[in-house]
Amino acid sequence: MILRLVIADGSQTPAVAESVEVADDGAISGWRSVSDGGVGWFAGHLPPGELAEVRALVGAIRAVPPPVPAPPESAEEVLELLATGPVSIAGIADGPGDWPSLAAASRRLLDRLTDFPRAAVAAHHPAPGVARLVHRGTDPVRVDLGDIAVGATSWRGYYELAGDWSGEVEGPGEVEAGPGWTYDIPIGVDGPGSVDGSGSVDGSGGVDGSGSGFESDVVVHLTIDFAILSGTTRVPVRASYTPAVG
Amino acid sequence: MSDLSEAPIPDQQATPDRKSPDVRTPDTAGPGMLPAAGNAALARMLQGAPGGTAALAELVQFGGNAQVARFAGLGDGSAAPPAPGPVAPPAPVNVTVGAHGEEVRDAQIKLSRVQASALPLTEDGRYGPLTASAVRTFQTSAGIAPPTGVLDPVTKTRLDAAFAALPPPARTVLSLGSTGADVGFAQQKLNALGAAPRLTVDAVFDARMLVAVVKYEIGALSRFPTGTVDAAMWADLDKKVKGGFVANEGAGATPVEQNTPSGTATSLAKQVAGTSLHPVTGVGGLTRGPAVEELQQKLNKAGAAPPLKVDGAFGPLTTAALQAFQTGRVPPLAGTGTADKATWDALDAVAPGSTTGAVERQWTEEVGGHVYGMTGANASRYSWEIQKTRMVVTAKITFVGLAPPAAWFGHVESVWNRYMGVETASGKSMPIDFRMVRGAGGDANTVTVSAGKGRANAGQWFAGDKDAANTIPHEFGHLIGLQDEYQLHPGDFVQATGHEPPVGDATGAAVAVTPATIAANLQAAMVARSSANARAASVGAGVKEGAFAQQVVEAYAALATVTVPAAAALPGPPPVPAKPAVPLTGNLLRDLDAALPDDNPRYDTIQVFSYSSGSIMGDPGREKDPHDHGAQPRHIAQFMTILGQALGGTWEAKRR
Repeated sequence: MILRLVIADGSQTPAVAESVEVADDGAISGWRSVSDGGVGWFAGHLPPGELAEVRALVGAIRAVPPPVPAPPESAEEVLELLATGPVSIAGIADGPGDWPSLAAASRRLLDRLTDFPRAAVAAHHPAPGVARLVHRGTDPVRVDLGDIAVGATSWRGYYELAGDWSGEVEGPGEVEAGPGWTYDIPIGVDGPGSVDGSGSVDGSGGVDGSGSGFESDVVVHLTIDFAILSGTTRVPVRASYTPAVG
Repeated sequence: MSDLSEAPIPDQQATPDRKSPDVRTPDTAGPGMLPAAGNAALARMLQGAPGGTAALAELVQFGGNAQVARFAGLGDGSAAPPAPGPVAPPAPVNVTVGAHGEEVRDAQIKLSRVQASALPLTEDGRYGPLTASAVRTFQTSAGIAPPTGVLDPVTKTRLDAAFAALPPPARTVLSLGSTGADVGFAQQKLNALGAAPRLTVDAVFDARMLVAVVKYEIGALSRFPTGTVDAAMWADLDKKVKGGFVANEGAGATPVEQNTPSGTATSLAKQVAGTSLHPVTGVGGLTRGPAVEELQQKLNKAGAAPPLKVDGAFGPLTTAALQAFQTGRVPPLAGTGTADKATWDALDAVAPGSTTGAVERQWTEEVGGHVYGMTGANASRYSWEIQKTRMVVTAKITFVGLAPPAAWFGHVESVWNRYMGVETASGKSMPIDFRMVRGAGGDANTVTVSAGKGRANAGQWFAGDKDAANTIPHEFGHLIGLQDEYQLHPGDFVQATGHEPPVGDATGAAVAVTPATIAANLQAAMVARSSANARAASVGAGVKEGAFAQQVVEAYAALATVTVPAAAALPGPPPVPAKPAVPLTGNLLRDLDAALPDDNPRYDTIQVFSYSSGSIMGDPGREKDPHDHGAQPRHIAQFMTILGQALGGTWEAKRR
């Protein structure tokens, strides 16, 4: 192991609980609970160039940094190196210096991790009025879709709030998601019959309410809350879909 | 934001600046301290030794001795509050939708209490449709026709009368061993009147409270101590300290605990010892802007000759004047030409006030048992300028990552630009305007703007945050040095908010196990590093925020401490980082934070054993307190001090 970063924040629901680990041979692996790139397990190999950069940053570290308090509302961030053991880096911002550079690079590795899905599920917005869960990776993952919460926010221009919708879906319960698996959820924010506010989706997939209909000039962001099952553990997760706005 | 809050209304018309008499119940000096006891029992009790019934009986046995009589004669501590100065009666003006200010807030308080509103009104001083509806309901019930929804002079008079006619809270006589909400309210009031040491608001009349009660009886009531909070003492406590009871508010009779004011709120976070509030100015520091203007003003007041042009540019003349000031001190400061902490301290001593300035505040806070802060490069940086008709406070931000959405700048102004400073003697007023601007340089804060949404922190905001109307003003509060007001220890809560900790759930009626058992279970959960077990032992057992939870906190502090062994990282899911060994300290919040993983069960557990306000710096999502909503006067107190230093007089923040 070259480094391991764990970020956790229980003040949010679902809790942020993310990890990334890089091994000596460049293997990168970890878990994402709240992510745009999918939630679940990820594993792959960093290209040699990237691995060399990580090695260089880690190799520059000689000692534990002086403690710096984390900014208010920060998540817990613990970076573990062989040379130092676990070190809290939540107070270390990006900037010049060995530790700021390493901290920033480690955080970026969490995003990089999602390029290597193994058994994960991501959110998509394939068509107006539809939120879709999509399996990513090569391995199956057991998910609990018995109680799905969907949030959809539409933006116009540059982050000008155009609509907001949330709903709860009674899904099929526990299912195994493998390659090619998808699950569509009707949403009421930008499709025919869209509504602002909150709603519910009935078992047939219909959306209660009525609204202004499809608007072509908005960008929709989605969050889909469900759970991933790992043995007897049920882990609440949030798959997000946040395309660029503006 | 609560659905009961009233959003700003376009084209608001400010109500005339009517100077209503200040009807705030004054805080008075606490009970007189007894310098020594004339007999051993009294001495022990007053020193806080466990006394109980036996000690009280012992004291009574000595009743009438000269010492006790002398203590009783020390004074009653209930001296009349300073008489308010002559205040002109308010002009009879209609107040209606769109109005705002203290008078509207006063009406909102009363409308809720006389149950004219549908639900408790958010006391934001904004006269919106909910307030108008409540006025109409009141007018109808009071026989004022037609019901207009306008707070006209007749309606106001009738509303004031209806509020004044509300019955006082029914109080229970309390003595050693008493429990329940009234015990908690008495503890709040004794604290507010200076009980030392502070009483834990745990709703248990124990030996410590007995000491405080006896002290109060002797020092404030000038009576021989009975060890009871009887009707006379309740009357005195209620007269001196408002709040401290549960009132039914709104037509639905929603029970709402009335806050008990206590001391002077200090909402600013704790400044790091040894740091200056002034940025280093001059070579190696800021060479342009408000900090330089402040320096030039103060150098002029300190006698710079020839006087400097106050232009905010640090040039040769300013350098020379600064070096002259430095070397002219006794003993001299190093003539570096750079204003460091020592130089600024000397300047502040000579010239405390200026009409413009910059602040670089290094601070820390403890939230949920964890220390956070803005220090070093992350310090809070802001500036202020007293103009002819207003004071402008500016936080400059270097945004990195995405561009900030335009709406964010309006959110800051919507929440924060609601106050003015009023000079108490002259009545002169000055609106305080807050601005968030883009910029760079050594006097700017740095904020990363990320895509999507997540939980913002002081240094990272999310462009897709649909709750930005609350989030951004909260984070802006940190940029002007304010601390969080959630998940606080009781003492920190009092200091930050100026309220006593709420009594909340006083009895734990829904809890099937004792505080001692819950405390032991919590410690066992920490040893096992199990936040799920901690939540099950507390929230799961029915513990809610308030006095009963504080009994658990006290029981936990009494446990023998142990050390939780170090734990290796767990891959999960969910992943858990490696944790060092944790020697438990008896401080429940800190121990929960240190021993347990940062997850939802830990957060929930800490929540019930701590205190949070409903203000913009608190946690309005969890704490729906209609009385303490949005930005509060306490949050801008630092600028009242600055006004006083610059313009003289005593300034108070009032809604505008």
